[in-house]
Amino acid sequence: MEKLSNGLTLFFSLLVEAIPFLLIGVAFSSLLLFFVNERSLIKILPKHPLMGAIAGSLMGIFFPVCECGNVPVARRLIVQGAPSSVAVGFLLAAPTINPVVFWATWVAFRGQPEIVFLRVLFTLIIAVTIAWVFSRQRDMRPLLQAAVTRQMPKPQTASVNPLLRSGTFLLQTDGATLQIDDPATQEIIASGPSKPFAVKLQLALDNMVQELRELGAVLIMGSALAAFVQVAVPREWIIALGQNFVTSILAMMLLAAVVSICSTVDSFFALSFSSTFTSGALLAFLVFGPMIDLKNIGLLLTLFKPRVIFYIFALAAQMCFILTLFTNFYVS
Amino acid sequence: MSARRPRRPVRKKQRSQAATWYRQPELLDALVLGTWSLALFRYWFTGQLFLLLHPNYMWLPNGSAFVLLAMAGFKLMQFRRRANRISASNHSTLLPPRFSSLVLLAIAVLSLMYTPQAFASDKAIQRGISDSLTLTRSQPQRFVRQTASEERTVIDWIRTLNVYPEPDAYTGQAVKLSGFVIHPEDWPEEYLLISRFVLTCCAADAYPVGLPVQLAVSRQAYAPDTWLEIEGKMTTTTINDQRQLTIEPTKLETIPEPRNPYEY
Repeated sequence: MEKLSNGLTLFFSLLVEAIPFLLIGVAFSSLLLFFVNERSLIKILPKHPLMGAIAGSLMGIFFPVCECGNVPVARRLIVQGAPSSVAVGFLLAAPTINPVVFWATWVAFRGQPEIVFLRVLFTLIIAVTIAWVFSRQRDMRPLLQAAVTRQMPKPQTASVNPLLRSGTFLLQTDGATLQIDDPATQEIIASGPSKPFAVKLQLALDNMVQELRELGAVLIMGSALAAFVQVAVPREWIIALGQNFVTSILAMMLLAAVVSICSTVDSFFALSFSSTFTSGALLAFLVFGPMIDLKNIGLLLTLFKPRVIFYIFALAAQMCFILTLFTNFYVS
Repeated sequence: MSARRPRRPVRKKQRSQAATWYRQPELLDALVLGTWSLALFRYWFTGQLFLLLHPNYMWLPNGSAFVLLAMAGFKLMQFRRRANRISASNHSTLLPPRFSSLVLLAIAVLSLMYTPQAFASDKAIQRGISDSLTLTRSQPQRFVRQTASEERTVIDWIRTLNVYPEPDAYTGQAVKLSGFVIHPEDWPEEYLLISRFVLTCCAADAYPVGLPVQLAVSRQAYAPDTWLEIEGKMTTTTINDQRQLTIEPTKLETIPEPRNPYEY
């Protein structure tokens, strides 16, 4: 009975602390969805593979979305012709490198600031490296699901003489032409300035409730699991698992992939393990979880072919393991 | 009269569609959001939030209570004006939406019924009280030498000990503090531990700290989890071959559990 009561107190304390951050997270991602134009953003992004990877990884600062909001954004970036390095970098880093997540991690780990900064650093290293690797692939089509490829602009149009192209064109003020049946133009027509502010706001609010519902349920299940492990599993087991440099990291990475807790609130989840697990293991949870988890794989499958997700998963897992193992041996 | 007529059948049709409330997405959403808002308001006004969170962060759930209430109002309005409903963008979901809503609703109702309990001695023992005499996670921001010794709380004493661990340095200093009783299993009968949980963020990271108390009688006089106010002097004793700073009480008084049982 004592245990049940402790477990429930733990559970509700996690929820009460996490729900405000979840609200902030879904509010940002919903507002961005309807009020920011990615097209103009892509134009100013660097084309160089490494610079693109870095820019993509840092874009989360302006797009504070968690790992559920970043897949739709990355999808729109790809469809609108962003380089692969930017899209992949954004996909991996945005859920961690953004102000809301940084703040939440700071609130949770005020006592161990190294965790907050190493989380950002490791995520940057992993995201930039993987994005750089993917930039070798100039044309992303073979990696993407067919549904996404169809929406992308055709790559060869530039080499064809514009006079020889068939279709319906709009003459713009600067003399340039805009092909109406081009998917990118369709996108502008569909999402352009046609919607008034009030409708956009209502759509954003709707989206906010929708995301809150989905992520809230995942948060509840994650918190319940965390509270259960805290009170029900014998302390000796957790200590034996959590104090070993290698097994603690592997256990936390597995846990991160399974619980699928949102990156804005996962630091509170990790916090409940902070007295028993090594710092490296906590970092592994905080770095790896936002990149790959069960919920995320479902979303990624709407964008990439399974083979690509496996590559990202394998690369991220290995780098995360090596970096956090290094932390365990040399930093803490 | 004649103008009203055509309206009626439409209304009836809506009613029949609204037969089961949980099949109405807007109504269900409004209910979920409203219940959560209510739950957060309840924690705020009953002061139970003190058992869950560090006071620095209490404005977060308090603010969320208002935001959730506003969102519930928005959804309710949408339900009443179903005609202007705009279908949101395509959104891939992992869980079926109604299942998510019902989970959220169930937990909100549970939180309305459940009163959080402050952690007690069993949790302290499970969290490993013995380590805490040499380890506190929050490093002291400043070391105030001039604090009168009888004004130090349990955590102040532990922080002071962290900076200068020699117990003899504190011999004879006056002590006055409060905390709850723990009976460490491997300690002699006349020793108990007076403890407090320390919070950095929320109850999830509460960790216990404590100071030994040397009693003249058996510790069975003070049951575990009893809250005590202790006045006395510091001395050094050896418990299980370990020299420890110990309180030698002159006055022991049972007090009710404070509204805010944690220290920060």
